Amino acid sequence: MSEAAQLDVERDLDLGWMGRRGEWETQARPSKNGLTLADIQIGDYGDPPVVSENQTGVPRGAAKRDGSYRIGAYGVRTKSEIWLDNASFLYEEALQRQWSSATDIPWHTIDPLPDDIEQAQCAMDTFLTEVEFVAGDVPARWVARTTPDFFEARNVLLCQVMDESRHMDVFRKRALANGGGLMRATGGTAGVVGSIDHSRDFTEMSSRLHISGEGAVLTIFRLGELMAYNDAEKAIYRLCAQDEARHVAFGVMHMRYMAETAPERHEEIHCYLDEAERGILSGSQNPAGQFTQTSESMAILLGGGKANFDEGRNRLIAIRKRQLQEYIKRVKSAGFGDRFENGRSQVPELLAEIAA
Amino acid sequence: MPRFPSEQWFGAVAAVFNGDERYQGAGGGQCNCRAGVVVEAPNDAPADVFVLTFEGAECLGGQPADAAALADVDFYMQMPLADWQEMLGDIQAHGHATADHTLNSLDLNREEGLATSVHGDQYREDLFFRYNQTLQFFFDASARVKTARA
Repeated sequence: MSEAAQLDVERDLDLGWMGRRGEWETQARPSKNGLTLADIQIGDYGDPPVVSENQTGVPRGAAKRDGSYRIGAYGVRTKSEIWLDNASFLYEEALQRQWSSATDIPWHTIDPLPDDIEQAQCAMDTFLTEVEFVAGDVPARWVARTTPDFFEARNVLLCQVMDESRHMDVFRKRALANGGGLMRATGGTAGVVGSIDHSRDFTEMSSRLHISGEGAVLTIFRLGELMAYNDAEKAIYRLCAQDEARHVAFGVMHMRYMAETAPERHEEIHCYLDEAERGILSGSQNPAGQFTQTSESMAILLGGGKANFDEGRNRLIAIRKRQLQEYIKRVKSAGFGDRFENGRSQVPELLAEIAA
Repeated sequence: MPRFPSEQWFGAVAAVFNGDERYQGAGGGQCNCRAGVVVEAPNDAPADVFVLTFEGAECLGGQPADAAALADVDFYMQMPLADWQEMLGDIQAHGHATADHTLNSLDLNREEGLATSVHGDQYREDLFFRYNQTLQFFFDASARVKTARA
């Protein structure tokens, strides 16, 4: 008989050091979607603090350990800075709707394409690979800056980093899968897109990244099905669009929370939207607009080759119209639609120009 | 043999969809939304309206409804009967939607789109994009349902 077994019989171990000082006898029950984060929001475990003093990484609801040293210089410690009402839901959705760029894309359906079309596709792949690096890097930084007390929002951002990694790799794979390769870097991540990473406030970052940037890229991914020449490309764009729509949903719900709970920040948020609209929607950085390299590539793909460039360009303009319409409706849904009624936003004018 | 569109047809497709675990991977999975299906009848007859309900990993089927019910769904997909039948014919022929017959392509190729809403809330309309693969899997499952033409 081992010594451990003898100890168990002869002594009663003192487990007091484990610090059973939190809530006890909690019994979370799985719901229809399994045991989700929403199902374990029980008692104090489900109450994030309005202001978090947690600098030691103690899990929310756990007993604090006296004398712990600080492990995180968490700058985001106020709930309203990062909160949204459905973070738990988006997190579970992100977990359950993952896909593999290696095995869920029917790569065997790709056949050789005419050179101009392959070249345009590879140029788009290069651009999207660049963009997805930014979309992964930025939320990753904010995860590390956010107190663990707001783990629901952090977890959604962590899933976004995973999603963007997959987007980066799937476009790289496409570029290398059909006799082409990566093209010259577009520089699309400089300027406005790159400046997303200069944001000093989470809401500033989210308005730039999730609402303006990812909203625009969502439209590109959706129209990707029209630019696709095989089932593999169709699947790539459709699955990326799903992920992107979830990221946009995060931004819309965070903005909606800010609209409802932080009236003192409304003007500030409108300023972020002013800036984003100038740079991404109305300026030369818009890949569906006047950004020459990508808009030319898209027109070639949409038209069916450079000989049909004008036809492709006309389709691109129609898509740009829809892109702007969706942007306006998203900002309205987020609670900041007054900017389209009071003349502050130039987007309705741009939309009218396109329609004319 | 159920006819499209009918409650029986949506129920039969839902049974195939719910019974195949492959539809829960590869970009499918948890889906929570209510989607309207509007089938425009020829000759200005009233459109057929159905409400599809997705909860978690399941589709609960499609219930017949009237046009007023569209105000409560997250988004609805509207096409003439002939276009729905062409899409379903492509799915039957290939086992899944191809080329311009995917839901997203149909949405992009139509001037007014395929998916829209009464409420105009883009957050809810975006569910068409967020759950697009699941919606596609659902209609692709109809390849295994013998369908009578209306």
